[in-house]
Amino acid sequence: MEHSAIFWTVFAWLTFWGMVGVIVTPRIFLRKNLDVSRAGLAGACIGAATGPLGLLPLWYFGPRLRTSWNVLSGLLIIAILAWAFAVADPHNTCVTNGEFVTSLFVNGVIMGIIYGFMALGLSLIFSILGVVSFAHGEFYMIGGMVVYFFTTTWFPGSHPVLGLIAACAITFAIGAIFERIFLQPMSKGKVERPIEYGILVTFGLAFFLQYFVQAVAGANPVKAGRFFDFPVVGIPTMADPWLIKTTTGGLTLFNAASISNPRLTAAAIALLMLGILLLFLYHTWIGKALRAVSQDPQAAAVIGINPETMNTLAFALGGMLAGLSGATLVQSFSWVPQVGMLPTLRSFVIIVLGGLGSLPGAFLGGLVIGVIEAAGTGCVPDPTRAAAYIPAYGMMVLTLVLLLKPTGFFGRQQ
Amino acid sequence: MKKWKALRFCTILCAVALASWSYSASAVDCPIKIGGLAPLSAPGAVTGGEAMRDAMMIAVDEVNAKGGLLGCQVKLVMGDTEGLPEKGTAVMEKLINQDKVVAAGGEYHSSAGIAAMEVAHKYGIPVVFAETWNDGITSKKYPEVFRIAPLSSEVADFQSKFAATVPGVKKVAMIVENTDFGRPNAEASVKVLEKAGIQALMFPVDIGTQDFSSIIQRMKAEKPDLIMVIVTGEASYNFTQQAADAGTGPENLPMICDQTALESKAYWTNVPAGNYGIIMRVGIPPQLFNDVAKTFVKAYTTKTGKNAAESYAFEAYDSVRILMQAIKEANSTEGKAIIKALEKINYVGALGTITFPYGQDNPPDKTGKEDKWWHQFPEPAITMLQYQKKGQDSTEAVVVYPAKYKTGDPVYVNKK
Repeated sequence: MEHSAIFWTVFAWLTFWGMVGVIVTPRIFLRKNLDVSRAGLAGACIGAATGPLGLLPLWYFGPRLRTSWNVLSGLLIIAILAWAFAVADPHNTCVTNGEFVTSLFVNGVIMGIIYGFMALGLSLIFSILGVVSFAHGEFYMIGGMVVYFFTTTWFPGSHPVLGLIAACAITFAIGAIFERIFLQPMSKGKVERPIEYGILVTFGLAFFLQYFVQAVAGANPVKAGRFFDFPVVGIPTMADPWLIKTTTGGLTLFNAASISNPRLTAAAIALLMLGILLLFLYHTWIGKALRAVSQDPQAAAVIGINPETMNTLAFALGGMLAGLSGATLVQSFSWVPQVGMLPTLRSFVIIVLGGLGSLPGAFLGGLVIGVIEAAGTGCVPDPTRAAAYIPAYGMMVLTLVLLLKPTGFFGRQQ
Repeated sequence: MKKWKALRFCTILCAVALASWSYSASAVDCPIKIGGLAPLSAPGAVTGGEAMRDAMMIAVDEVNAKGGLLGCQVKLVMGDTEGLPEKGTAVMEKLINQDKVVAAGGEYHSSAGIAAMEVAHKYGIPVVFAETWNDGITSKKYPEVFRIAPLSSEVADFQSKFAATVPGVKKVAMIVENTDFGRPNAEASVKVLEKAGIQALMFPVDIGTQDFSSIIQRMKAEKPDLIMVIVTGEASYNFTQQAADAGTGPENLPMICDQTALESKAYWTNVPAGNYGIIMRVGIPPQLFNDVAKTFVKAYTTKTGKNAAESYAFEAYDSVRILMQAIKEANSTEGKAIIKALEKINYVGALGTITFPYGQDNPPDKTGKEDKWWHQFPEPAITMLQYQKKGQDSTEAVVVYPAKYKTGDPVYVNKK
């Protein structure tokens, strides 16, 4: 960074006024007998974004706080930081090359959708069973393995979509059987320390699945072929495809952002499945029953919903979502029995960021992590460090959000 | 009288000591156990680890089929290091204290090797590393540590000199594994490339990274003329294919891939767009194979069903075989005796004739050599191969460098 002092001065200014806002605003609101539940977050956001110009009216008038103010302040903070970065490092590729930034952003969004989809299952399981499944990555791994072996060994030449269906069926079945045998005793009160039991038993499942697959399928990396070939088109014209240009293996947007076919396919399937899941949860009787159990299992039982069946369904569905996520990504990544370890860790970060048990939160969390990782890798001035910090980018955002809003984006207060 | 008693006591004591010494010198616990280190689980390079395991098993089976060693059968006890330092330490502790191995061979990852060698040094157990390149392994001058793999700095020098021969190369981008293998190798490469007037950019990543999309975008924005992959295991496959998806793969830009690309079946499964990938291979080229190499390749291909043996399989085979020859020449399984035998060994193996010219009797600094040459096989042959047909086997790949082993001209994809 050429003029790092400029960037760090702006950063220190934002941090200082953010801290002033987070400390002082709740005290003033308390003294004025106003709602303090969101005062800290609003004070931090408005303080960092506007400094004393925004804080003084906030303290003086004590208005009713709105979520939109936090969102606007957040966007303003991002804009200020981006401006400071551009001034401090004018020759950075992120500043000079618009195509590069577009490409980074688009790929970040694509990866974010995939991350979010993976984390959805974990969030669903937590919202209904109250269990953090440490075997989530192994469902992801099995989904990919099933597609690979289905299309290359069990039914060579069969269409990958059949593999996807098989992956869903197998991961759903594993989830259902496991929940029935190992997690039901927990919900029936047969286990003395259910939280510790839930962690240990899902850990056990993770190790079992990992080493079982390693013993059966071997530890060599495998990879499925592309599910579909794109038709070769150019929009608006083949001669000048400035909007979209496709080849069989990928797509280029605005002559700038290239997205590989497997990733785009995986993201499209994730969005489609998200839509189906939301329809299922909000417009079917079983979906509504699942949501009812997540809100109050005892009240749900009173109106004729069997919470145990819903628990089984939730765990199986959660496992299936992870399995489907893996099944769509086995055409992108080399697949080994340990492939689920990193996605599991990332999913934990995402669901805490989005708010434990919140499905929209999980999806938004995934998008945020995807974009932040892409931006960090692409824009950190020192290329020798940029990629090595990938796991740290998500953790920094998580720490910041938890400091300001301990329940995450959409988490519920217990 | 007292004098006689004392003399008689001393004589008996000496006799007992002599007897026990001679017993310990010749007595060997059967079976003789040799440790085999290899990454058999991710994030390690499993493809390499499994090949090394099979090769080490062949070495032991061959000796057992001929009646064993010092009247005993030899048993190979495998340890899975997963390519991780903490596993390297734990596995070596287990091999020495629980399995009672008398020596160890193999290992693919430098990080695991560096950790394991500290344990070997602590217990005085000789270890011959097969595929760990980090210079620091031999620079520490531990009596127990030997290596038949090339030095990282020498490999970097070789690769970079090849990179400098590629027409029009002015900027090289390196994707580098953040480990004891990747960092030193890349840093040494940067020095050689910069000396040749070529700009070199390092992009370090953690071991086991799956998604390289953002870093590939950044690399692409730098407009490199050549890419070097200094990342092992399935991560190297992931990078190469993702780079190909982004239009900077081996079919678009000269790319020096990781050695795991030598495992042709896995390479083409994981990197279908990997044609024209260039790979470094350690060991003499097939046209110069000696009888040991030919016999090994026959046994290896029969055992594994592969068409050929990879360079790390050759090294693993020789690492165990050389230990068995040292045990035979020492007529003992005692650590110090094996080390002494290894220092004087003249072993004819699948990699050629292996010696360790610099050691306790001839330290490297005595002849002005750097410490890294301690217990180091000085002349492993290195070649650069290039796949020039999709689905090609690595044994049929064209040797493009150096001139003395060359079987064909390289295809420079950006100049086609």
